[in-house]
Amino acid sequence: MLAESERLSEIGKCLRRTFELWGYREIFLPAIEEYSENLRKGTKFAYNNEFYVIKPDITSQILENIKEPPEKLKIYYISEVLDGDVRGQWQAGVEYIGGNIIKMASEVILTAVTSLEVLGIEEFYIDIGSLRVWDDATEDISKFREEVYKALVRRNFEIIERLPIGKEKKEEMWRLFNFWGKESGYGKLDRIVEAVNDRRLFIDFGTVRPLPYYRDILFEIYSPELGKPLGGGGEYTFKGKPAFGFAFDMGALSKLFKKKGDRNRKKLRGEPRKVFAEAKRLVRMGIPVEVE
Amino acid sequence: MKRSNGSPIRFVLPKGRLLSGSLEILQRAGIELRVPAERRLIERVDNYEVLLARAFDVPVYVEYGIDVGISGSDVVEERGSDVLIPLELPFGKCRLSLAMPAERVVEPEEMDGYRIATKYPRITRRFFEGLNVEVEVLKLHGSIELAPKIGIADAIVDIVETGNTLRANGLVEVEKVMDVSALLLVNRIAQKTKFEEINELVFAMKEVIRNGF
Repeated sequence: MLAESERLSEIGKCLRRTFELWGYREIFLPAIEEYSENLRKGTKFAYNNEFYVIKPDITSQILENIKEPPEKLKIYYISEVLDGDVRGQWQAGVEYIGGNIIKMASEVILTAVTSLEVLGIEEFYIDIGSLRVWDDATEDISKFREEVYKALVRRNFEIIERLPIGKEKKEEMWRLFNFWGKESGYGKLDRIVEAVNDRRLFIDFGTVRPLPYYRDILFEIYSPELGKPLGGGGEYTFKGKPAFGFAFDMGALSKLFKKKGDRNRKKLRGEPRKVFAEAKRLVRMGIPVEVE
Repeated sequence: MKRSNGSPIRFVLPKGRLLSGSLEILQRAGIELRVPAERRLIERVDNYEVLLARAFDVPVYVEYGIDVGISGSDVVEERGSDVLIPLELPFGKCRLSLAMPAERVVEPEEMDGYRIATKYPRITRRFFEGLNVEVEVLKLHGSIELAPKIGIADAIVDIVETGNTLRANGLVEVEKVMDVSALLLVNRIAQKTKFEEINELVFAMKEVIRNGF
């Protein structure tokens, strides 16, 4: 347990530093919230005839807590989220509220990219998709939209094949289902890919994250070295303002994290009064120490 | 542009009633797998690796990193695993049903306060929540049909194939909870990192099904 705690602590430190370099401020939220149907995940309980939620999904908790956001808000968090039971997942993420969506999306994705690089995780991919592309593609068959989304979430094209719709429509959906590349023809996505300019970022219309608050753009981060996503995020609206955010699964990062040596730490030994005086001087200068 | 990195495809297959159907459909799709010999956990054939697992664990293996698995829809529903399900397979057909002793049959809506024995507590809770009926769910790992007989439960939710086991234990089917069949499961990340191979596999299996498996 201590080893995992140490790894999570190291990861947390790296992420805090990177998020702050990009201009995000840390937000501290209460562990327990009054129950609201807008809060996702978390574990519900009753106390004194009132209902509460412990450690809900952070994005939904932020949306619930900030009543009047300023013109622009950039915040980050590192917190445990419960899954409705007693098990939790440590998450670290950022929320960028208010601004141009293409710039916000590009910056948030680059925040994720640089965070992974700082953690020594270089072999990863980011697949970015769009809900609007699917909304447009299903506009003329809107009564089957729910079935199409079910097919996407399961990646089960048979569901679409069974729909009483034309062959051409099915072929169009099949192309979207399997689209993966750098240029899609959907300007908003193409501009984000161009702005981020990273060889590991691809457009994949098969990428969907079934979270109720996403509006259009969404992305998923993964590594061929791990069978679980490292994180993901997307575009949402916050009190009428465009917003973009993402979260890492810190447990997944911990599996791939390559700890760098602590070579800069100055080791000190000797007579306590002298040694601690020197340690105090170095710490004041921002130099890490270890008194042996 | 190819997405695959060429590493072997790893399969997890369920021990028990779905194993022979799983091996056969894969073989007809051109994938000849060998079940690991006793005491061997993983068997490798060509560019495939296969491991056997308890049926209830297959979705968990796939969710956490095994590329492809075959499992019953009952287990996938019970586990609530985050996996892709590109195909329903035409074998392992049965149903998950609510059953109780023939001499004490009541409608599910009248089961308030009843104790239900099952291997599927999540599905059972959801079924009764849907009816707005509060029941106590007792999780057992096997011989579910004995629970009402020995008086530790009022009814059961369990797999029914022919109904013979129910009849032999004096139980009658009260209501179907869900239809069950085998499903092809794919890990979400494998679908991206082994895109071509997984798509080929799904196409090949679809073809086998279309030709009357």
